[in-house]
Amino acid sequence: MTAVDVDPTPVEAPERTPVVLLDQVCRVFPTEPPVEALRSIDLRVDPSEYVAIIGPSGSGKSTLLNVLGLLDRPTSGRYLLDGIDTADLGDAARAAERGRRIGFVFQSFHLLSYRTVEENVGLSELYLGTNRKDRRRRATEALDRVGLSHRLGFEPIRLSGGERQRVAIARALLGEPSLLLCDEPTGNLDTANTESVLDLFDDLREQGLTILVITHDSEVAERAQRRVRMVDGQLTEVA
Amino acid sequence: MASIVRASRSRSGRAARRSARDSRAAARDAAAASRPRFRFADLVDETLAGVFARPARAALTTLGTVLGIASLVATLGISRTAGSQIVGRFDELAATQVTVAARTTGSGSAERAAALLPWDVESRIDRLNGVVASGAVAEVSNPGTVRTVPLRDPENVTERLVPVYASSVGLLDAVRGEISVGRWFDSGHVQRRDRVAVIGADVAAQFGIDRLDAQPGIFIGDELFTVIGILDAAARDEGLVSSIVVPYTSAQDRLQVSRPERVVIETDIGAAQLIAEQAPIALAPNGAEALKVTAPRDPTRTKNAVQDDVNQLFLLLGLISLVVGAIGIANVTLVTVMERTGEIGLRRALGASRRHIALQFLSESMAMGLVGGIIGATVGIITIVSVAGSRQWTPVLDLWLPLAAPLAGALVGLIAGLYPSIRAARMEPVDALRAGT
Ligand SMILES: Nc1ncnc2c1ncn2[C@@H]1O[C@H](COP(=O)(O)OP(=O)(O)O)[C@@H](O)[C@H]1O
Ligand SMILES: [Mg+2]
Repeated sequence: MTAVDVDPTPVEAPERTPVVLLDQVCRVFPTEPPVEALRSIDLRVDPSEYVAIIGPSGSGKSTLLNVLGLLDRPTSGRYLLDGIDTADLGDAARAAERGRRIGFVFQSFHLLSYRTVEENVGLSELYLGTNRKDRRRRATEALDRVGLSHRLGFEPIRLSGGERQRVAIARALLGEPSLLLCDEPTGNLDTANTESVLDLFDDLREQGLTILVITHDSEVAERAQRRVRMVDGQLTEVA
Repeated sequence: MASIVRASRSRSGRAARRSARDSRAAARDAAAASRPRFRFADLVDETLAGVFARPARAALTTLGTVLGIASLVATLGISRTAGSQIVGRFDELAATQVTVAARTTGSGSAERAAALLPWDVESRIDRLNGVVASGAVAEVSNPGTVRTVPLRDPENVTERLVPVYASSVGLLDAVRGEISVGRWFDSGHVQRRDRVAVIGADVAAQFGIDRLDAQPGIFIGDELFTVIGILDAAARDEGLVSSIVVPYTSAQDRLQVSRPERVVIETDIGAAQLIAEQAPIALAPNGAEALKVTAPRDPTRTKNAVQDDVNQLFLLLGLISLVVGAIGIANVTLVTVMERTGEIGLRRALGASRRHIALQFLSESMAMGLVGGIIGATVGIITIVSVAGSRQWTPVLDLWLPLAAPLAGALVGLIAGLYPSIRAARMEPVDALRAGT
């Protein structure tokens, strides 16, 4: 403990750096007329939080997710990801940070039909430059984490919807991301499969992962500790 | 401090990873600078997977390149093979022979021209660049009958009329003569004016001479000569095999020969035209125009004139096929890019930069071009070999051709892939993800 006295920076300090910090973020699509998809959004997400974003269709949820995932740039405002000001990042640097810090889960899974389950998962570390052997090992581990280690060599077409989404989650987990971004992850799944995916999210959150889920489904939203509502490009905290 | 951080890492892996991430965040610029690169082995993997995802399409796409490269390789190879056959086989003997003779038109001038040819042609001609051998020859007029000494077989007719030639030492090599028994005469025999003779194999058979250790003699007319060799073959002058050849000095002494009638020269391949110009001057510096020179027409010039037209047609067809092949690859790659829009979005989401996306499609189109080039080169070489085989030619192949052909194919693929790759790289990840579901 004397070390803490000598150095004023507490060991826990990194824990308090928010994963996401949005400050007055706006996104205006320059259509005719312009669409203000995000209006002055303030949002802080701390490590290990599990946040659900709810709201009507067209309210700007996907736009928010795209901004958070560095797929889109805010028109104005500041976005700090893991304390990094993303405005400073160029196109290639954003791609690299995206690969390193963000895990995406899509409603439509986005698995490559011509690659095996294992290869699909390994794709996640392809652009991080890790070597093939490590990538395979970690892909196997990630598939183990989502309970699909028996499907390594399968083609995605032979999997059920729930299994496909779990493969996609394994892929998202691979680079040890800071943030898991899920846009309607259960939108294409039946009740049983939805349940298995939600259980998986619970496990992952317990392991310390930060999760942000967009959903229409109130049952899905109920599983998160925190809910925020998007209406007309504006964000409000739900009690 | 460091030890505490390390301790906390071991206590909670998650927290450690986060702190590691934050220290990375602090040194963000440094991290960005040392951004890991897309490995080459991975690029190869992704390329192969991408191409083999649609094998039939890839095969059809490479077809144009295969045709183009194959026709280019075959055209170049066959013309090379054919070209070297012309010089290499049936025309080789004629292509390397130059004959210089006295003009025979007009009675008076023939005498004068003949008087100009010297006997010592070897010393004048052999120093010319491109000459292999040379020799001068004159037929003995009215040598009389030829008899053997001693009489071998009284029952046989041993008196015959045989053509007799006087020659210089170099004639044997100049006509590509071969001695089977004994030897050809040398400059010593010439200088000593020895009465020696080399008889053709036909003459030897007629007189029953097969061994020379007893030094058989023959009478040419009334003059006795010692047989020192039997001439088995003379590729440029088959008649010598049925004749007798004696050194020109003894022929001058005994057989009333004065000057050579013609000079036979063997040249290197391709040197005949040059030697044909130089030889008369070397032989008769003051009367070269009175000499008649026989040289082969430039074989490469005449035959290539026909061949060049054919070659150019095929080369043009090959190039057109290549362009068509390139357009095919470009087209299919573009379709593939559009079909794989969702994949492009996904890869961008997984951390691929625009450059990575461009690289992937570029290397896929390049791989198709490369495979097309390899197959095309193979087909081309098979064509060369079978065409050569059907005409009993030796296939001749420039070594660079089978190496350059796949590279040319890859280049075609690379160029064809440029536009589709740029299109792929320009896609916005959000749009690509939304479009490709
Ligand atoms: N690329 C775009 N160009 C123009 N308008 C867009 C674009 N993307 C989304 N929008 C508009 O922004 C608003 C928010 O869209 P979105 O974020 O997809 O909503 P949600 O995901 O909540 O359904 C909508 O009005 C939509 O039409
Ligand atoms: Mg949406």
